[in-house]
Amino acid sequence: MRRPTTVVSSGKGVLPAFVAISLLLPLLLAGTALASDLSVSSNTYLRYYERDLAGGEKNTFAPLYEYLSADAANLGGMPVAFHFYGWGRVDLSDPSGSGKTSGEIGSAYMEYLHPQGNAQAKLGRFFLTEGAAMETIDGAFAKATTPLGLGVSVYGGTPVEYSILDGTSGGSALYGARVFFVQAGYAEIGASYLRENGTFQEGQDRELFGGDLWLRVSPAVELTAQAAYNRSVREMASQRYAVRIRPGATFDISAGYESYTYKGLFQSTLNPAFVFPALDNNDKVRTIFGIVDWAFVPGWTLEVAGKNIRHDQSDPGDANRGEVGLRYTYNDKKDVAGIVAAFVAADRDENEYREYRGFATYSPSKIRLALDALTQRYKKEPIPGIGEKNTYQVVASAGYQVLAALKLSGDLTYTQSPNFSEDYAGLLRATVELGTTAGGTK
Amino acid sequence: MTRRMPFPAVFGAALIALLFGCSAVSQSPSVPPKHPENLPQGRVDCLECHENVSTGALKPYGTIRHSRVFIESHGTYARQGQNLCASCHAPAFCQTCHARREELKPNTKMGDRPDRMAPHRGDYLVAHRIDGRLDPGSCFRCHGNKNDGRCKQCHK
Repeated sequence: MRRPTTVVSSGKGVLPAFVAISLLLPLLLAGTALASDLSVSSNTYLRYYERDLAGGEKNTFAPLYEYLSADAANLGGMPVAFHFYGWGRVDLSDPSGSGKTSGEIGSAYMEYLHPQGNAQAKLGRFFLTEGAAMETIDGAFAKATTPLGLGVSVYGGTPVEYSILDGTSGGSALYGARVFFVQAGYAEIGASYLRENGTFQEGQDRELFGGDLWLRVSPAVELTAQAAYNRSVREMASQRYAVRIRPGATFDISAGYESYTYKGLFQSTLNPAFVFPALDNNDKVRTIFGIVDWAFVPGWTLEVAGKNIRHDQSDPGDANRGEVGLRYTYNDKKDVAGIVAAFVAADRDENEYREYRGFATYSPSKIRLALDALTQRYKKEPIPGIGEKNTYQVVASAGYQVLAALKLSGDLTYTQSPNFSEDYAGLLRATVELGTTAGGTK
Repeated sequence: MTRRMPFPAVFGAALIALLFGCSAVSQSPSVPPKHPENLPQGRVDCLECHENVSTGALKPYGTIRHSRVFIESHGTYARQGQNLCASCHAPAFCQTCHARREELKPNTKMGDRPDRMAPHRGDYLVAHRIDGRLDPGSCFRCHGNKNDGRCKQCHK
């Protein structure tokens, strides 16, 4: 397999610098006036599970995860905020990953939101979706919309995603822009460009041209479109067109067409999962889809979804996926119960299965109980040589709100599948939510 | 020898500066960085309190109603701007699923929230063979296409 000579950077080189800057800036601003809106969220998970090894031995895993996010807004009395999100793992028993520790900084950035006109800017590490871009970068982003509706966004920096292949590291750059026009309540149309330096497909930079559209043709009808052209391989990477109809506040229906080419969308040189025979890089997928969401009675919602998936290649072949679900929301919207039935009917037997699921939650006072049961029934044994064709999984969860800011909960998961003749896994969860003001962060 | 700045670069920079200037003097209010009131758990319907067009996404609140239709196509809306999303969701919300090196499946982290649309329920090590064959583009949306270390454990 051909390996890239340069790929995107892990961001390790710039990470310490930008983290230091990002952490120091709010401290400097806090020196003039304390942040008036601070919030910290900590989610700690301790898992426990075992895995049988050849020869009758077994490994015991007890990874401890900490997910931490912190947000400080209104820094120095200005519309400036600092956001942080990261996670880390320490194994208390056998290594559950490639080592006994792991983790990453997902985001750490300063943000400026202008009080008028929706102008904004970000500096640091952040997740960005803008036109053709859906990236995490170490860099800067700025966006402005004029009173006439014409707007522009620009971004640039170092990509944080990196290849999993050994020996592939090195600096790179990612930058792009989007020009758009928005008519409030009626339309938004944008054109975007993204370029990432490196040796990608065809030995070139990754270069995308994107287009996006949201158009409200009547109070109840909307059209959406998004498309990306991969200039490096001279192919449409992906397209998605949909019509959405909302005749009332309780009925929502959408139908559309989606397509993508493997060559245009995937970076086969960077991830072996995208290399033949796992995937045929010459394949193309065309999908017709429809979704219905109907809250037919207060509290009750019917969901129906269908997809026709067509491939250019006979392997994997074509398939139809259907799903029907019913949800009931109760207890002042704190609890939900639901049942779902889904199927995949395919040209090839190994792609066919049915899935049935039921779930319910119950939250009396400070207690929260949840139960989730699922079964998947495959037409053909999914793992050759293992006769088992069904999966069963039950997750039971119980939690207690110990303090206003502290919730403790635990899950017990039972799984029986082609991989596991019988598997029990436990999880303890501690959630801490601290904030200086009320309001909105779900 | 001095290099002259190319005209398109100068013109582009001036245009961007002009647009930002116009935006800065705009009188229309921006979407607040944080929803001023606590929001209930579960799917929210903005129309219960709001009418007309949001100041952030500049789209009707009905468009943002978190029905199954919206949830399945939220990326289309997010690619036109994230500021309205960030007003109600924590800035790290997207990365619950759109992660790079994530080790915990979303449904493992949210075992107490079976009502959430968390992917990979069940023994997904089995099911991903089918999803990956039939619609690998659906994997791409969260895992990207470069780096998911989990792939490497088997796809060597």
